[in-house]
Amino acid sequence: MPQALLKVQNLKKHYPISQGLWGQTTGQVKAVDGVSFDIYPGETLGLVGESGCGKTTTGRAILRLIEPTSGDVTFKNMHVTTLKQKKLRELRRHMQIIFQDPYSSLNPRLTVGGILSEPLKIHKLTTKSARGERITDLLETVGLSPDAARRYPHEFSGGQRQRIGIARALAVEPELIIADEPVSALDVSIQAQIVNLLQDLQAQLGLTFLFIAHDLSVVRHISQRVAVMYLGRIVEIASREELYNNPQHPYTQALLSSVPVPDPRIKRNRTILKGDVPNPSNVPSGCPFHPRCPEATTDCKQVEPELLEMGNQHRVACILRTQQAA
Amino acid sequence: MKETGNDPPYPGVLDTLSFAQPILRVDNLHTQFHTDDGIARAVDGVSFDLYPGKTLGLVGESGCGKSVTSLSIMRLLSHPGRITNGAIYFQDRNLLSLSEYDMRNVRGNDIAMIFQEPMTSLNPVYTCGFQIDEAVMRHQSLDANSAREKTIDMLRLVGIPAPEQRANEYPHQLSGGMRQRVMIAMALSCNPDVLIADEPTTALDVTIQAQILELLGELQQRLNMAVLMITHDLGVIAEVADHVAIMYAGQIIESGPVDTIFHNPKHPYTQGLLASVPRLDETRERLSVIKGTVPNATQFPKGCRFASRCSIAQDQCHHQPALVEMEPSHHVACWLA
Repeated sequence: MPQALLKVQNLKKHYPISQGLWGQTTGQVKAVDGVSFDIYPGETLGLVGESGCGKTTTGRAILRLIEPTSGDVTFKNMHVTTLKQKKLRELRRHMQIIFQDPYSSLNPRLTVGGILSEPLKIHKLTTKSARGERITDLLETVGLSPDAARRYPHEFSGGQRQRIGIARALAVEPELIIADEPVSALDVSIQAQIVNLLQDLQAQLGLTFLFIAHDLSVVRHISQRVAVMYLGRIVEIASREELYNNPQHPYTQALLSSVPVPDPRIKRNRTILKGDVPNPSNVPSGCPFHPRCPEATTDCKQVEPELLEMGNQHRVACILRTQQAA
Repeated sequence: MKETGNDPPYPGVLDTLSFAQPILRVDNLHTQFHTDDGIARAVDGVSFDLYPGKTLGLVGESGCGKSVTSLSIMRLLSHPGRITNGAIYFQDRNLLSLSEYDMRNVRGNDIAMIFQEPMTSLNPVYTCGFQIDEAVMRHQSLDANSAREKTIDMLRLVGIPAPEQRANEYPHQLSGGMRQRVMIAMALSCNPDVLIADEPTTALDVTIQAQILELLGELQQRLNMAVLMITHDLGVIAEVADHVAIMYAGQIIESGPVDTIFHNPKHPYTQGLLASVPRLDETRERLSVIKGTVPNATQFPKGCRFASRCSIAQDQCHHQPALVEMEPSHHVACWLA
């Protein structure tokens, strides 16, 4: 195995719940609760889960856009979590993010040229005279015409704005891009354009992606490896083929069986989960999935499962599965 | 091939059951918005029928006019939207010629609607129970006590645990899935003949979506409702629809039985749409792409509206193609199909 580009170890982000006149802390929302994974150079790791499972918080905590409560993030050999502001800014040149909402993530008062020149100025990447040329290059890379530089974000459609967001991330020539639901807000025909663009860029520039999404079909398409999150933890991580063809965790199985397939001839055996995702301020004991799990036993209520290797780089956090394997 | 003219766009949907009459017929509906930028022809000559117990899936991307179609049926368009032409028959009555008072008796009672975002379509200052009571009291002339009984029955029917307590809670106290159940309970409280579901699961997570779709299917069977399912999610359509109509730029460009649409699509837009979705059940090397974007409703191109994005467009595509029956109950609006 090559050396990991990014190592995330036991990452946690807890938000205190304050109540009362003096704001006493009465509890914790455990948005991210002990997440660990590696990303290798040139690959795409998909991070999936339902709303509120902590996937976005994980992405932002890695970049320290949100300060993690504890845990360690190592990019190459740098400990991201302990860097001082100045060093952190230098590091962000190598790690960029693409946001979900192409409407709110671009400054409406700057032209596209202005938006793209900000990272170039901050990181002193080009001389003033070469900047225009670099912006033209960037726009062409993402499939926009050079005259886009003089226009404002509101003049563009959602798909085009997402291209601008991608160009902004690419401006600093990053190695790792965290893509947080980059296609969720787009129509299907536009979604395909952006997914293809991301794949082309990865091939051309050797980018590494952490691709965060709730759409399991898109994640299957773009990722080499996939991690499934539930209530702030990773419950299963494996290669794409393993995860989609041989899912082990009961949650992954139910999740996959819930996704409607665009083919009326396929009738699937569906595991319909009962109930809702529990509130992350009050995570169930033992395995956090046990109240909704169709296979839960009394042990599941007590034993907190660890993410254990089942062979083939397939790791699962479920005592029922890992006991069988052992 | 024959021109369809005024025929319903898929008369053959229940060929074997020739006695089946459509419960709702939308005939050549035109809805326009007069804006500062010109007239937006959001719905431009749409026709379809709904049959009892059957689901018609209306598919299209944002801005294609699918939601405006549903709001037109309910006559819920707000200024500057206006229905400029066409007819909507519920049983034998043209809804467009009803007075506002009569229309109120149709809404909720005969035709009900559920919306995409349950948080914004429930009133935050009233309890969930009160909002259902209100509908039941208005349409079924029940007193407050029997209305509440009915409300609790409905909440139980849609699978809400502890309905007596939930009825006294406010929408913000419920999760997204529960709110959507409350909306369904409200929509179905007066046993409507037609249910219009406008992206009912788009805001929900997949595991909750599966619950809601299953619930809708069960209730449809039980109540023999006609359902108009509006969504952009082809997976949902494949699962729930009997018949599918694909909309593009204010017009239906292809319609047919669900199996035909997914396995023998004729319109290049339908084909492109199906090819562009990543699938859970297969690995595709590369997604095929429909180039360009949806045209603006104030400036639809002349002729076939898809021509500028179509990979096989030819000269004749500058003329508007009619929706033509290619094979029984499969209609396509394309010169080249």
